[in-house]
Amino acid sequence: MNAGQNSARRIVASANPFIRDTVCISCRHRLTSSSSRRHAATAAATAQSSAPPSPPPSSTNSTHVPPVTTTNAIQKAYAVLAAPILSRPPLLTRELTSFEKAYYLYQKRLNERLALPFSRYFYYKKGTPGDEIWKRQVKSRKAAAKDIGVYSGYGDEAWNDEVLVGSKLAEPDEIIKALIKDAEGKSVVEDKAEAEEAEEKSQEEVAKEEMNKITIEKPMSRLTEADTTNNTKSLNRKLDRSLYLLIKNKDGRWRFPEDRVYGRENLHQAAERILVQSCGINMNTWLVGNHPVGHYIYNFPPPSKKSALPAGPNGGRLSTVQPNAMVPTSLTAGPKDVEEFGEKLFFMKGRIMAGQVELAKNEFGDQDFAWLSKDEIQQYVTERYWSSVRNVLADR
Amino acid sequence: MAGMKAPSTALLRAFSPLWRPQALPWTARGCVLQQQQAAPFSSTQRMEKKGRGAKTDMRITLIRYHLQHPLTPRPLRFSRTRALRHWTIHRAWRLYQRKLAEKRTLELERQYNSMAEACEALRLIDSNGLNAQDRERLGVPEPEMTGAKSDKDTGRLYRIAMRKDGIFNGAPIEYAKIQTETPSKDGWNHGWTK
Repeated sequence: MNAGQNSARRIVASANPFIRDTVCISCRHRLTSSSSRRHAATAAATAQSSAPPSPPPSSTNSTHVPPVTTTNAIQKAYAVLAAPILSRPPLLTRELTSFEKAYYLYQKRLNERLALPFSRYFYYKKGTPGDEIWKRQVKSRKAAAKDIGVYSGYGDEAWNDEVLVGSKLAEPDEIIKALIKDAEGKSVVEDKAEAEEAEEKSQEEVAKEEMNKITIEKPMSRLTEADTTNNTKSLNRKLDRSLYLLIKNKDGRWRFPEDRVYGRENLHQAAERILVQSCGINMNTWLVGNHPVGHYIYNFPPPSKKSALPAGPNGGRLSTVQPNAMVPTSLTAGPKDVEEFGEKLFFMKGRIMAGQVELAKNEFGDQDFAWLSKDEIQQYVTERYWSSVRNVLADR
Repeated sequence: MAGMKAPSTALLRAFSPLWRPQALPWTARGCVLQQQQAAPFSSTQRMEKKGRGAKTDMRITLIRYHLQHPLTPRPLRFSRTRALRHWTIHRAWRLYQRKLAEKRTLELERQYNSMAEACEALRLIDSNGLNAQDRERLGVPEPEMTGAKSDKDTGRLYRIAMRKDGIFNGAPIEYAKIQTETPSKDGWNHGWTK
């Protein structure tokens, strides 16, 4: 604790409101909260001094400041809800366009024209196995680079560095194939002499080769099993896109998981609680910020006689908000009767790093869940919901 | 690679201050200037061996021979049509990159605007989720009109949301996973438990 902070504390502690305005709100909050004090003695002293004068909050509410609107039995309200948008970030780089693939190959070959000659004796000592392998491989592919096909930046054919139309050389699959062949000690380019040699070999030679063969592990396919079966429950699907958690609620509507903000909790706490109450605790999640990233306002339509919901005297929906067991401040306040005219939904941004949704422990009666990319979400949700959500979600 | 023979000493001669090839491209002039130093790396060794003449370590000679090619940078010669093709490719690439960047900027802008609108809506609501327009429409008296002090809960969620508590403590370490070209063997960890 340094001198600057001490003087700031003094300003905060002083009663003069004009002086107090020189400290910004968030700093004032941090300085006045006793948890931020690092010295045990000061903490104890402040606790002693602050504890006696503050009576329990419920008693002050009931005695001194009776809420004005409680004179009417039922308050008019909008339901304030929080909805965490849980996303799985893309795990793979995006698919390259044909132009990008062609351009990268073009640049690699240009580099071959500009690079210095590969000085073999500097890297390989004469007569070593590495030297022999290098000699054999470079004879067929002509250049040091393994993924640009047969091309040399030197000699009479150096000008001919552009591949022909329809060449598959720039495809990532071909590059992987070439690199694996090279790692196995074979020449990258197919040549006839080798193929003929292979045919002439006796069985013993073939068996011996099999014994000495080096197997190189091939990379996994970018298309997973979940992609082929289109399993929307799996997080292995669409690995190069962001996936978002959508939940089918008890009314059969697809939405992000949502619930009311109860008692004195804030949006961040509400979002964390909703994740636990709707999807179970076995998800490694992280809520990115304290503020919402988007909102959705919906005015309830005027009640019709068919609807099962009780209609209020002013055309709203009557409902009793029961306290939530996980929010202590709502338990002390007790149930509350309100007439609701709509809902205001605030989206909170979250990420999932591991784990999966468990609907068995759901407390909201949700029926189903799906991990969907942005364009799929459009087909699941209503148009109005989509228009307020589309700008929140990332394109990829 | 035609004729991989033992290294010729022809290139070694390039390091001699007495002999210099005449046909150097203009782009290589800077490199030539660089090579015109009186002493190889440092003059200490030479000073020590004063009577016996200059003699460089063979390893240093080799490194210099292999890494300081006299023809750096190599000239890139294009025919007229080839140069035009190269220019076209280059312009197309710049255009494409620009479009990508614009798309990214617009996406960020959309996300920012949606965030700002949500925060504004949050700032205006009171404890019952009503803002001034809602109160007027539904006929709810303003807090000031009823004689009480203004509703302390107006914008409460907003004020809490604007606090930066714990924001600078850093992201969880799992968040630092970078994108790869091919997926991992195990795939997503569905069985993670708390």
